[in-house]
Amino acid sequence: MIRIGREGGRKSVFAGYHPLLNFMFFGYAVSVPIFFLHPLLLIISLASALAYSIYLGGRKAALFGLGFVLPVMLLAAAFNPLFFHRGETIIYYFYYNPITLESIIYGLCNATMIGSVILWFTCYNAIMTSDKFIYLFGRLVPAMSLIIAMALRLIPRYQAQVQRIVAARRGIGFDVSTGGYLTRVRNGGEVLSVMVTWALENGIETGDSMLARGYGLPGRTAYSNYRFDSRDRLLLASFLGLMTTDLFCLVTGTLSVQYYSRFMWENIQPFASIALVCHAAVSFLPLALELREDALWRSLRSRI
Amino acid sequence: MALIEVSNLSFTYPERERAALVDVSLAINSGDFVVLCGKSGCGKSTLLRHFKTVLTPFGRLTGAVYFDGRLLGDVSQREQTSRIGFVLQSPENQIVTDKVWHELAFGLESLGEKAPVIRRHVAEMASFFGIQSWYEKTIYELSGGQKQLLALAAVLTMQPDVLILDEPTAQLDPIAAEDFIVTLKKINDEIGTTIIMSEHRLEGALPRADTVLVMEAGRIISHGSPSVVARDLQKQKDQMLSAMPAPMRVYLALEKSGDRETNGHVPQTVREGRVFLEKRYGVMVRETSRTQQLEEREIVEKTGSRFWTRFLTGELAKDRNSSTPLLAMKDVWFRYDREGIDIIKDLALQVFPGEFVCVVGGNGTGKSTMLGVVSGENKHYRGQVSCLGLDPRKAIGNELSDAGLAALPQDPQTLFTRATVFDNLIDVAKAYAKRRGEKRTPEQIEAEVLATCEMTETLDLIGFHPYDVSGGEQQRTGMAMALLTRPQLLLLDEPTKGMDGFFKAKFAAIIKRLCTAGMGVLMVSHDVEFCAKFADRCALFFNGNIVSEGLPRTFFSGNSFYTTAANRMARFLFAEAITAEEVVELLEGME
Repeated sequence: MIRIGREGGRKSVFAGYHPLLNFMFFGYAVSVPIFFLHPLLLIISLASALAYSIYLGGRKAALFGLGFVLPVMLLAAAFNPLFFHRGETIIYYFYYNPITLESIIYGLCNATMIGSVILWFTCYNAIMTSDKFIYLFGRLVPAMSLIIAMALRLIPRYQAQVQRIVAARRGIGFDVSTGGYLTRVRNGGEVLSVMVTWALENGIETGDSMLARGYGLPGRTAYSNYRFDSRDRLLLASFLGLMTTDLFCLVTGTLSVQYYSRFMWENIQPFASIALVCHAAVSFLPLALELREDALWRSLRSRI
Repeated sequence: MALIEVSNLSFTYPERERAALVDVSLAINSGDFVVLCGKSGCGKSTLLRHFKTVLTPFGRLTGAVYFDGRLLGDVSQREQTSRIGFVLQSPENQIVTDKVWHELAFGLESLGEKAPVIRRHVAEMASFFGIQSWYEKTIYELSGGQKQLLALAAVLTMQPDVLILDEPTAQLDPIAAEDFIVTLKKINDEIGTTIIMSEHRLEGALPRADTVLVMEAGRIISHGSPSVVARDLQKQKDQMLSAMPAPMRVYLALEKSGDRETNGHVPQTVREGRVFLEKRYGVMVRETSRTQQLEEREIVEKTGSRFWTRFLTGELAKDRNSSTPLLAMKDVWFRYDREGIDIIKDLALQVFPGEFVCVVGGNGTGKSTMLGVVSGENKHYRGQVSCLGLDPRKAIGNELSDAGLAALPQDPQTLFTRATVFDNLIDVAKAYAKRRGEKRTPEQIEAEVLATCEMTETLDLIGFHPYDVSGGEQQRTGMAMALLTRPQLLLLDEPTKGMDGFFKAKFAAIIKRLCTAGMGVLMVSHDVEFCAKFADRCALFFNGNIVSEGLPRTFFSGNSFYTTAANRMARFLFAEAITAEEVVELLEGME
């Protein structure tokens, strides 16, 4: 996946909201089209995902959409009619295999679904940094968040130390990249052995440092820099309102679609149009927030 | 009432005969700044660790430690966690999490504080230490000095009454170390936190201390204000005197009864020392002829070395024109990336056989990078490097080591593969015997190893695990490993970091011995005092280049800031005197 967001991409307003809201949004945006495979929902989802990813990632994201997502979608769209022959409206025989209209429609819907999920994930990557993920899930298991933080500290340290050991051993003539196969394996093994001893020995001081700062006392809390402010509460309320309305309308079944053996969808009921409007509102909300902020900055700048 | 009181504390580690602490009694008052000093292995760390229950080692213990009027064992863990802060030696090891903000919050999380409380204390500390600008950073991006300040701040967020620090500046360069001690003094002055620190670099710490404790072999041999302790040590003729700051040593050597210049106060800083010298000797005329004698004496002293005999007979000067240097660098440029900035710029440096060359300079000037260029780790893109006749850029695999180059890394722990010092050494000797195609018996190899141990003064260590010996001893073990490769040119990267004065003197003696045997030694270091005392030639590295170079005496007397404390103090009288002993000798000669 491409990395968009902080490095290179533009500064996102939505990313500044509480991680819970970020996660809630993506959970919803990705799962609803998967569970309710309705063409109109899918189109809304694809359009909003594409728009948001291009907003966040700019040209790079657009190229990614054209160069990767589009081919994947085409493949997915072609796959279904070529290998599944259900449906009663045969429009063509391909090497004695019937290609049906229903299968084509289903394939297109599937492709749209896959495309929108991929695009949502590129946005997710830009918005939900590892910090936020750890924060959210660390709250479920407090011990876990500390372990992840320690691991993130140790991995780059260990990498650097291995490089240092290799250089140090080379300095007294034990290069890991020369000599016969056996010599190299042995020298590599030595590096590993130095590394293990070093890690265990130095871990003792880390342990002392944790103990000295009260690790192991009962009732440990997990602190984070994130705070849930009034802006977050407002967005949460909007999300909850729109999402529950949308889900209610969807579950009550007014927006049903049948793909096989004949493609059928009911005329859009008032309830169903509410669902679609709500879904579109949620899907485009982050983008709307970004655009509003951009407009605000433009007006601030013009006043200066 | 004393905040911490120790009465008749004795302690012996399991399976050790000798006690680590012998009948220690002391009292530390609230608000004191206490400096604990003594040779490596004298029991400083052991004593400090008895001030916090979770860190107290196992062993046989008699006597008692009281905190705030109660037996320390009766003070709950929760109370100890917040009221007794402890900072350890290694900035790397004591940081637990990956983010600065998380590290600051760690202690308060343990205490179960709620988010708003943590936020407030963390914010306070970040502001006090001026670390707002790197508050969101990952630990990986910080320098060593920043990490140690973070470790300190992470303890202070719990608002301890007493702060205990076990050689906190040992792993830092002089500038970061000074910053750290200044911060400690600020905490002591502005918050009133009691500070107890062990330290071997006394130039910075001693002038700021209210009380100094000197330990030797588990006992406290002196106790009191810096002036009192210094006089005490002089009376006892204790070796620790040589670790005291240069102004103190100069003053004590020249002290006469009824001195009026300082009212009994022993000068501790360069400023105080200089004021004292000006008051007493200011009226005397500068005498330059004295320094002539110094040079002669120095040369006589050093004639033990073949280098110096050759220097005296003028042979070396001839050599320099005719014979090839071990290392010759000319117009060397290096940078890490095509687009990066140049780290080494137009560098020229030569090292001749039998010469001990020290390159001094600040952090991040490219000193270590230069060693990398010599060893082929960093490949220069312009200029010529000839290391033992090879171009390091083109040397593959172990070619350079086989030609006689050995590099000792900053951290010798990266070399140790076996469980004892002896096995580590045997391994290297065996590998090299095999590589050279020599047929040697195990006895012969063992004999070579033992001879090397004698040379590097590691014979007493051979049975120990290399991690169980002190930092200075680890350096010597690493040195022994390097010597078993039978090098002609030895590269040393900051070897005196974390070494106390006695280990430094030992280390210097070993280097001298090697030079006598004709080996060339190139060392990069921050340690001005060490280089002034022991180097054959010094060079100042700045901005990727050597800006000045010369014999230590001419080199350091030519610098006005980057020089030894003794020189800064007495240069208005004798610009050429660079050690405290020389200053004393010259002044005594004047009277």
